[in-house]
Amino acid sequence: MTQQARNWLLLAPAGTLFLVMLIIPLTVVLIFSFGERAPSGGVVPAFTFEQYANLPARWTAFKNTMTLAPVGTLSALIIAYPLAYFLAVKVDSKWKTILLVMVIVPFWTSILIRSYAWIFLLGGRGIPMVLDWIGIEGVRLINTPFAVLMGIIYGYLPLMVFPIFVSLDRLDKQLLEASSDLGAKPWRTFLQVTLPLSIPGIATGCMLVFILLMGEYLIPALLGGGKVFFVGNALVDLFLQSRNWAYGSAVAVALIVVMLITITFYMRLIGRLGTSRDDVSIM
Amino acid sequence: MKSKAYDSESQSVDRNVIAELRDVSKSFGDVLAASDLNLSIGEGEFLSFLGPSGCGKTTVLRILAGFEVPTKGEVLLDGEVVNGLDAYNRPVNMVFQQYALFPHMTVTQNIGYGLRQRRPRLSKTQIVKKVTKALDVVQLGGFENRRIWEMSGGQQQRVALARAIINEPKLLLLDEPMAALDRKLRKEMQIELQNLQRQLGITFVLVTHDQEEALSMSDRICIMREGHIVQVGSPQELYDRPKSRYVADFVGTSNFFSGKITNLTENLVSVLLENGMSMQGILGGELTVGQDVCISIRPEQMRLHRQGDGLTVKVLNRIFLGEHTEYLVTHGTLGDFLVLSPRQSELNDVPFNRGDEGLVSWDSSIALILENN
Ligand SMILES: Nc1ncnc2c1ncn2[C@@H]1O[C@H](COP(=O)(O)OP(=O)(O)OP(=O)(O)O)[C@@H](O)[C@H]1O
Ligand SMILES: [Mg+2]
Repeated sequence: MTQQARNWLLLAPAGTLFLVMLIIPLTVVLIFSFGERAPSGGVVPAFTFEQYANLPARWTAFKNTMTLAPVGTLSALIIAYPLAYFLAVKVDSKWKTILLVMVIVPFWTSILIRSYAWIFLLGGRGIPMVLDWIGIEGVRLINTPFAVLMGIIYGYLPLMVFPIFVSLDRLDKQLLEASSDLGAKPWRTFLQVTLPLSIPGIATGCMLVFILLMGEYLIPALLGGGKVFFVGNALVDLFLQSRNWAYGSAVAVALIVVMLITITFYMRLIGRLGTSRDDVSIM
Repeated sequence: MKSKAYDSESQSVDRNVIAELRDVSKSFGDVLAASDLNLSIGEGEFLSFLGPSGCGKTTVLRILAGFEVPTKGEVLLDGEVVNGLDAYNRPVNMVFQQYALFPHMTVTQNIGYGLRQRRPRLSKTQIVKKVTKALDVVQLGGFENRRIWEMSGGQQQRVALARAIINEPKLLLLDEPMAALDRKLRKEMQIELQNLQRQLGITFVLVTHDQEEALSMSDRICIMREGHIVQVGSPQELYDRPKSRYVADFVGTSNFFSGKITNLTENLVSVLLENGMSMQGILGGELTVGQDVCISIRPEQMRLHRQGDGLTVKVLNRIFLGEHTEYLVTHGTLGDFLVLSPRQSELNDVPFNRGDEGLVSWDSSIALILENN
């Protein structure tokens, strides 16, 4: 077998999967999006931009997604960074593994169950009731953007912690000593050495969380109670409830386009921030 | 601080004291990495710490740099106790063994790092000027905008050096900076480092476990063993007048014959060797009758010849070293030992071959009686 044949063989499983699960469905969705709704649901082949012209009707879903996804990503980052820093830099190595496992433990139960816990916590007999006792009355948390944001941060935190932890853990601690030796006070060492060298982790974490959030539907469905919904919820509705596949496909294509544009800008930004050879530029 | 730096051990040097350790100990859990260290470092001096792996050399440097707080004792810099002073407030810089250069910065940015931390701020032109000069000193002109990974090991070492010296520290600490370089480059860098030290007048404290490196570069060497300072002195002092077998063994090569002191007369001291022979020598320290000692004789202080008085030996091996020829010889009671014969006597005489018999002799006044440890 030639080297080239062997390379193809290595690529074959992933390539097949990619083709069957991604390329073909995407093509189908693209074709559908130019079609028309069949009277009984489903799609009639056509070539019309009608579905795309209709997109503004779903503006709220796009608006929610495009605000809560970045805000959720940033919030997760702000909470995850100190945690990852603590785990990677401050914790004694014998405790590291145990604490890391504790970060993942929530992943062992389904997001559905965990979100139900939040429904209770944020609902009438949870936090609002406690606030009531101490004299703060009339706070409503469930079915608000805040509730969705809490769910998002909670659900996606480990995904943000891990890449940042890895980049901070890999960081040569002698660089921090060198910085201190050269006269930098601790916070300047953080700004000039630790932070720049953890950008790859931040970039990976944000990318992961952001992309997944753009397609999120479970958390808004449970904690947003039909009031705060994402594009994902709109898609579920269009495909499964109203069975308007053509319009659903157009919404899906629009979401993909928005995502591609955002990610392109994001990569540009990271590329400019990232400077060292073996980290950011590979993204 | 105008006091004279050194105790009797190294009378020859007299400089202002720039740094001092007073009864300094450092333990990590049960490991005593440094134990009751007392040492003065003179301004402009080139001092080396020499000792085997794990003897506490790095620990001493880290205490001086401010990365470790001593468990006991005082560290003084320029006459002031600095035990609690953070590394970033000390006028001390370090060249790390693995260089610890910042991978996200260019060569220039790395070298200018220390200057950028100064408050009040230095102007950009001042920084550029100093960086250019530092690049010049380490002969790295033209590499300004290179990334660290685009530099060879030797070049990286120079960047690390420039990054440290640009701050004009009172003390420059170097932790085995040449360990990662190949032999030829190491030799070159040793010479460059020595020139640089003279040129800048900065006090250098070097850690090494390479005795050749320590001997060739230092004004004084501090020999360490298991966290203790065993002896401090100029390279020549350590070579000629080691105070213990450990030092004689660590600095240069020597033949040792163990025994007990039987007689302490004025000049020569008699030692009864373990094998029953009696030998004479001079005292290399304060020793008493009955003490376990060894006699140390350097191979080049022994002569191998065919005529006259001497111990009859048989040549086991002969190694030609250019200027010298090294013979491994054996004697009925003394066992195997080394004799170094200079080129000249090799030319005058017929050289010895393996299996030849010969006579070995030495001057009893150079046979050093040392503590046997
Ligand atoms: N942070 C630490 N925690 C525990 N033990 C340590 C620590 N640092 C050093 N030691 C111990 O202290 C002793 C001295 O270590 P040190 O690094 O000073 O040796 P060294 O002379 O520099 O050795 P080498 O030539 O191998 O670099 C060793 O036994 C080492 O294991
Ligand atoms: Mg060391």
